[in-house]
Amino acid sequence: MMELSQVRYFLTLCKTLNFTRAAEACNVTQPAFTRAIQKLEAEFGGALLFRERNLTQLTELGRNIRPHLEAMLEGAEAATAIAKSAKTSGPASLKIGLGPGVGATAVAGAVRAVAQRLPDIAIHFEEAGAAALADAMLTDRMDCALLPEFYDIPGRLNRWPLYTDIAVAVLPPEHRLAEKNAVTAGDVAGEKILVSEYCGGFANRLAEDTGMTLRLQNCQGASAQLLDLIGAGLGMALLSNRLRIAPPVTTRPFHEPELRRKIFLTAVAGRPLNPAAANFVKLCRSQAF
Amino acid sequence: MAELGRNGIVDQVIAPGEVFPDFMLPSAEGQLVALSDVLARGPVIISFFRGEWCPFCRLMLAALTEALPDIEEAGATLLALTPETGGLPLTMKTYHGARFEVLSDVDCGVGLAAGVIFRIPNLYRASLGNGFPERHGNSGMYLPLPATFIIATDGTIAWRFVDVDFSRRAEPADIINAVRGLTRRK
Repeated sequence: MMELSQVRYFLTLCKTLNFTRAAEACNVTQPAFTRAIQKLEAEFGGALLFRERNLTQLTELGRNIRPHLEAMLEGAEAATAIAKSAKTSGPASLKIGLGPGVGATAVAGAVRAVAQRLPDIAIHFEEAGAAALADAMLTDRMDCALLPEFYDIPGRLNRWPLYTDIAVAVLPPEHRLAEKNAVTAGDVAGEKILVSEYCGGFANRLAEDTGMTLRLQNCQGASAQLLDLIGAGLGMALLSNRLRIAPPVTTRPFHEPELRRKIFLTAVAGRPLNPAAANFVKLCRSQAF
Repeated sequence: MAELGRNGIVDQVIAPGEVFPDFMLPSAEGQLVALSDVLARGPVIISFFRGEWCPFCRLMLAALTEALPDIEEAGATLLALTPETGGLPLTMKTYHGARFEVLSDVDCGVGLAAGVIFRIPNLYRASLGNGFPERHGNSGMYLPLPATFIIATDGTIAWRFVDVDFSRRAEPADIINAVRGLTRRK
């Protein structure tokens, strides 16, 4: 059985690797500190640290449980910290990255729930490539990001599966395919398909999966500009069903083949998030999408 | 269970007279619920549940759903906490048609602060299956003891029920009596 203080002591010891300094940092006597660590070792049924004369090191068991206990302690601190900051209401910020073609629609409710608690919060969304977002998180410029599968998420990031995107055909006004209930690969063979770095890569995957040669029109820019061009009749696109698309542009389901991709919520492992971001992550993890 | 008892599990659980740490957690419907806000309306009953998969938790939830009118009449609010994520709190709530809040104690943070979290012993893991990483959204193997606390409006614990035997739960009648005692005293 674990006590909050034992977990805190152990994680301090992981950082200092020195019993005397860790006990000092935790403001507790060394015998009490050592007893707490021993109790935790009893709970886990093995030594968490090698205690050698000049060297204290984590055992394999200690290394294995460290990330779990960090998450749990962070969970405890985030739950109490936001309860406090909601009362004191200082400045807070929430920086969320959105990977290629990933909309904010799915997580907007969670952002609203956090913002209702922290009215002075500054909300910041950034749509960018997966590698750029991973780098922004690792260098502490971004709290968390929604990243698609097919991108090799670095091991230093925690990932939680949130939902699955399905491609839809996004059509210009009065397009011939709008008369159909659903659109297939065969239907789009002669169509001009607009692609950008941020469209989610569905068209490229369609070409790969079917071996078809598609008429791709490259147009870099944000999804809003891509939709403007579709609205002007330049061509169609294959985009996530989670994007909110307004008239005159219309959508139809796309199948044969169905194009899916999983979306993960990611954040740097073992680095405490600010209360707003920590609770945004909790809200997202607690829900089904 | 014997192992849990031997480790003195109950000693570490926060006890009557101590302050239950204020917290904010996501509800089944995706709102953030704060203990202090709920305490402003009267005493709060906090009940830890292991999960939607646990038959004893289901029985307890059914009993509490039935007892809710009496709990409300006594002036208290019930909060159910579970380490489950990914929409399972809502599944649990819908299954029971529960009107009380079911909160997701993501990564067992509040449970740890309350001293009710234990690591699932290896022997016991096999019989529980290996669905926990997905259910909890982490690879740790931790569960709360199914403890129940009654928190007075000043934030202190007025009453608690905790037993290392997960099949033994607080009786709704005992909870209601304890709440009535609390509200009468004022």
